[in-house]
Amino acid sequence: MSKRPFLGWFASPSILIAFGIAASFLAIVQFSLRAHVPGALDPGGFTLDNFTTLWKTVYGKAFVTTVLLCWWTALFTLLIGYPLAYAMVRAKSARLRSAILLISLTPLFLGEIVRTYSWMIVLGNRGFLNATLMQLGVIDRPLDLMFTMTGVVIALVHFTLPIVVVMLAAALSHIDRNLERAATSLGAGRIRCFLTVTLPLSIPGIVAATSTAFAWTFSAFATPQMIGGGKVQTISTLVYQVGFASFNFPLAASLSLVGLLFTIAVLALFNTGIRKLERIGAH
Amino acid sequence: MLTEISAIAPQDTRDDVAVQIDGVSKSFSGTVALEPIRLKVRRGEFLTLLGPSGCGKTTLLNLIAGFLEADEGELFIDRDLVTQVPPHQRKIGIVFQNYALFPHMSVAQNVAYGLRTRRVPKAETAERVREVLALVKLEDFADRRPRQLSGGQQQRVALARALVVRPRVLLLDEPFSALDRNLRSAMQVELREIQSRLGLTTVFVTHDQSEALSMSDRIAVMSRGRIRQIGTPSQIYDRPENHFVSTFVGDANLFAATLLEKTDATASLDIGKTRLSLTTFQEELPEPGPVTLFVRPEQCSLTGLDQPGAIAATVALSVYQGSYAELHLDCSVAENGRVMLRVPASEAMEPGTNVGIALPERGPAIYTTTERET
Repeated sequence: MSKRPFLGWFASPSILIAFGIAASFLAIVQFSLRAHVPGALDPGGFTLDNFTTLWKTVYGKAFVTTVLLCWWTALFTLLIGYPLAYAMVRAKSARLRSAILLISLTPLFLGEIVRTYSWMIVLGNRGFLNATLMQLGVIDRPLDLMFTMTGVVIALVHFTLPIVVVMLAAALSHIDRNLERAATSLGAGRIRCFLTVTLPLSIPGIVAATSTAFAWTFSAFATPQMIGGGKVQTISTLVYQVGFASFNFPLAASLSLVGLLFTIAVLALFNTGIRKLERIGAH
Repeated sequence: MLTEISAIAPQDTRDDVAVQIDGVSKSFSGTVALEPIRLKVRRGEFLTLLGPSGCGKTTLLNLIAGFLEADEGELFIDRDLVTQVPPHQRKIGIVFQNYALFPHMSVAQNVAYGLRTRRVPKAETAERVREVLALVKLEDFADRRPRQLSGGQQQRVALARALVVRPRVLLLDEPFSALDRNLRSAMQVELREIQSRLGLTTVFVTHDQSEALSMSDRIAVMSRGRIRQIGTPSQIYDRPENHFVSTFVGDANLFAATLLEKTDATASLDIGKTRLSLTTFQEELPEPGPVTLFVRPEQCSLTGLDQPGAIAATVALSVYQGSYAELHLDCSVAENGRVMLRVPASEAMEPGTNVGIALPERGPAIYTTTERET
């Protein structure tokens, strides 16, 4: 008799979900290998044509856009998230700490659509941002934020920030305060202490947060779709367009499949490239 | 600017004072961690802050290091007023309980850290790192990472890192508590040797009274944010000034007594039905009334129950300790019901034996009972 008779029952939901994921993945693989019959929802016979179609410039451009979007989003999220996480871990007042936590987590609680609509209101030509800047006389013409890469990156940074802040805060809180105190007692001012002790020791956290941000942004759909408005075409918006505007399911399936493999490849490349850096902070 | 500060320093800041603490206090969100403290650490002295956890010793150390800001009072290091000086400009060295070695740097890089912040030229840095690693006998470990070292070796690196910058004061925050017993005593001897060879002013924080007694030039015994007594180890052990110090440092037998009359240091008192006349080391005795009589185990001896001045007790337990045996006696007039004394192992007695305890005529101390505290 097993000592934990319920263990099997506890595991069963995850097994069901795993089956579901495997089945839908197989369906996508299967679809990607079938021919598209214009005007019909059912696919035709087996073929590799879908993958050759993907060599067209429009699809290649979506891959480049997606990578650029992920890169800029990860970079800016990191630049904004690191100080936030640092303040959250190190702030003396408990109230300030929870305020920072609350502010950085709110994007998670807002629905994707609500959040994206809010950004459309802020970023539009007569939106909050442009109106304020024009009122202040900083600019004469509205900045092009809607339907541009910049606008999408701004909204995506907001979307990615919670996860990065939480991951960085976890990493930073594991750094022994005495290490910073030791550095200080040895004559290091704040900046030197940060650059030589805190930053190197938080590199594992930075790497983990950056790759998660990368993957997180890669799969974003509503934000690039609504704020990009078709002008910023990513893999996910293109899959939607091919699948649900042109009803070319086989091509959409092959595009998602290649997109998935591409994500894995980029993340793997990213991780090998960064492993050397990570070793600095390993402890 | 420095001369200006020296000029306003109090007159009694003589050259042999390395650290002067003038009425420094600290509270944390309303809770007093440290009452205003006055303390002078002499140059080259090994001073120990001894006390139970929460007594304020670590707070005081952090105030000297500059990791905490004092609520009031002033702090001088080498005659410089440093109350407002940030920690990285205080030129102190500190060894932490967990050593706090930089895990991402080699031993040599760890040790060189303080020299790099001071922009010491490369050649000199290399030379000084080599020297100090030789001092702590770790020449061959310069390229290792801290995690590849044993606890004792890590501690030596931490010490070397603090020493290499030639600090004005060395601060030690319970540095031995993570070491096993044998290694601990070896490291204590080694540290003390290095410290006296370099003539380094050292402030050492510990809760371990035997460590404090064996290592210190002077001990400041602390409780509840106050210094309860400051003196040499033998002053602290032989002439504790109050109830707290007598029980915190060393073993103590305490008897509930009534003080009948006193002349100078000589007192006449009743312990149960026994009347005794004693001469204490104290300059001032409490007022007649209920008091606590304090006697070290080695000052007590066994005697016949019929002897004058004998206090009745019953052997409860005899603990064999090799060269001697600890006799734990049930005694109705002892404050906690127990008295402990040490006898040669051959004279250990069976539990249940009735014995008499003889107290010395000179040496014990008498404290007011109300002063009891933990």
